[in-house]
Amino acid sequence: MEYIVETHHLTKRFGKEIAVNALNLKIPRGEVYGFLGPNGAGKSTTLRMLLGLMRPTAGSIRIFGKDLKKERISILRNVGSLVESPSYYSHLTAYENLEAMRKILGSPKEKIDEVLDLVRLSNAADKKVKSFSLGMKQRLGIAMALLNDPKLLILDEPTNGLDPSGIIEMRNLIKRLPKEKDITVLISSHLLSEIDQVATYVGVISKGKLIFQDSIKAMRNKAQLKIRLKVSDANNAYRSLLAKGIKTHYQDHIIYLYEQSDEAVAAVVETLVDEGYSVYRVEEEHQSLEDIFLKMTAGGDDR
Amino acid sequence: MIMKLLATDFLKIKRKGLWFLTILGPLGVVLLQWVNYELVPGRREWLLQRSDDDWLFYLQNVNSFTPLALVLGITILTSLAASIENETNAWKQLIALPISKMGVFLSKFTVLAFLLAIASVLLFFFTWLLGIYLDLGAVIPYAQIATFSFYPYFASLPLLALHLWVATVSNNQGIPISLGVIGFLFTSYSFKLPDWLPWKWPSLQNQWDEPLVNVVLGICVGIILYIIGMLDFARRDVK
Repeated sequence: MEYIVETHHLTKRFGKEIAVNALNLKIPRGEVYGFLGPNGAGKSTTLRMLLGLMRPTAGSIRIFGKDLKKERISILRNVGSLVESPSYYSHLTAYENLEAMRKILGSPKEKIDEVLDLVRLSNAADKKVKSFSLGMKQRLGIAMALLNDPKLLILDEPTNGLDPSGIIEMRNLIKRLPKEKDITVLISSHLLSEIDQVATYVGVISKGKLIFQDSIKAMRNKAQLKIRLKVSDANNAYRSLLAKGIKTHYQDHIIYLYEQSDEAVAAVVETLVDEGYSVYRVEEEHQSLEDIFLKMTAGGDDR
Repeated sequence: MIMKLLATDFLKIKRKGLWFLTILGPLGVVLLQWVNYELVPGRREWLLQRSDDDWLFYLQNVNSFTPLALVLGITILTSLAASIENETNAWKQLIALPISKMGVFLSKFTVLAFLLAIASVLLFFFTWLLGIYLDLGAVIPYAQIATFSFYPYFASLPLLALHLWVATVSNNQGIPISLGVIGFLFTSYSFKLPDWLPWKWPSLQNQWDEPLVNVVLGICVGIILYIIGMLDFARRDVK
């Protein structure tokens, strides 16, 4: 697989606190990589290091196969970014804001109209950004990020502060980009539902450590279902099953089955009935992605 | 690359009052002398009696306010320029562009040095015009007008470098403003300051009575402070 971004033991320390701890990110080409983690887990710090805004304490970053330390400028030529709250010059119009960036990037002038059109700000092009709503400012931020036709787009919490229709619009835009323009997208969020709807690949960070990294499919597979049994005298029932050589898991008066085939479930129920226990309920329990995420990042919010 | 950055920086200072201040500074300094010479009847004659060289005396009067205007101007201009980027933390957007951080610093410095240079040129013309208006003598001492207009500019370059450094690395603009206030007070009493303090230099005074010393010092120390500020700016993380 071709990786657009690859970090090796990426670490950032602020004084004694380790904000990012030995991160090995691998972002495959053409994917929408969802970078997921609670607030304060180290997402923004990581993205800032990828953009060369912060220097890593240790570790290395390779983007497009080039070393960021040595070839920062040539890498950034092909990177677009929107980090946290959008940055703009409020005393300038939307067009002037883009023009200020375009002058540095050296893109053609037509590009400004193109990106304004893409984020549907053409009508507000000559208004001062001061008068924009938060959603409009956010869209201007996206337009800025797309001005240089990036091959890698880094978006930090891009739907923060958007209204529902704005969120949907942003989502559609992010989904479209890899297919239409061969852009690899790195998008961070603390909301799983956000990532779930756009990402094809996921990295989960908690307390500065990467605790999961794989395709979103692999993450969904983790969200397997369980069979739970509610029976009379559950503790003894659990022991009788064990005596019969059927392994289960007992917790809070509920018996969970490891084997989930129809035959295995039928055999367990039969055994219990034979032993004289009443079976009240046999249920499937879905573990949602949200549950998995919460379990993975448990305690991540307390810093 | 630096030309692109300069073009961008000149675009960014639109509507922020920097150009206005650039004109206001020298105009204010010269208008004060118009007030000094013209507003009170009889004062002009009294002032003219006080020296043999009316032009030189007038230029010295103008120059008593030039250093103050420069220090004040440097404080406000650098702070305004930094606030343009600080307002929405546009630094993170700017530094993530394919440009060098040193280039960003150089561009800001160049824009401000250019504005102050324009102010000095204006000071030259305003001083000259008011001198003619005041009828100070037929022989116009162009070289001296130039000395009093441009030497303070070069002598104040260290302050510009220092202020730009402090303003760009401070999240709190109170810090550079406080530095400016202290500098302003220093400059007000520049005749009492030791020669080695940069706040004395724009006044063109020194123990050898040779203004050129201040110019050379200004340029040399200015370059050193500029390099220190640029290296520190480039070294820092962008929050």
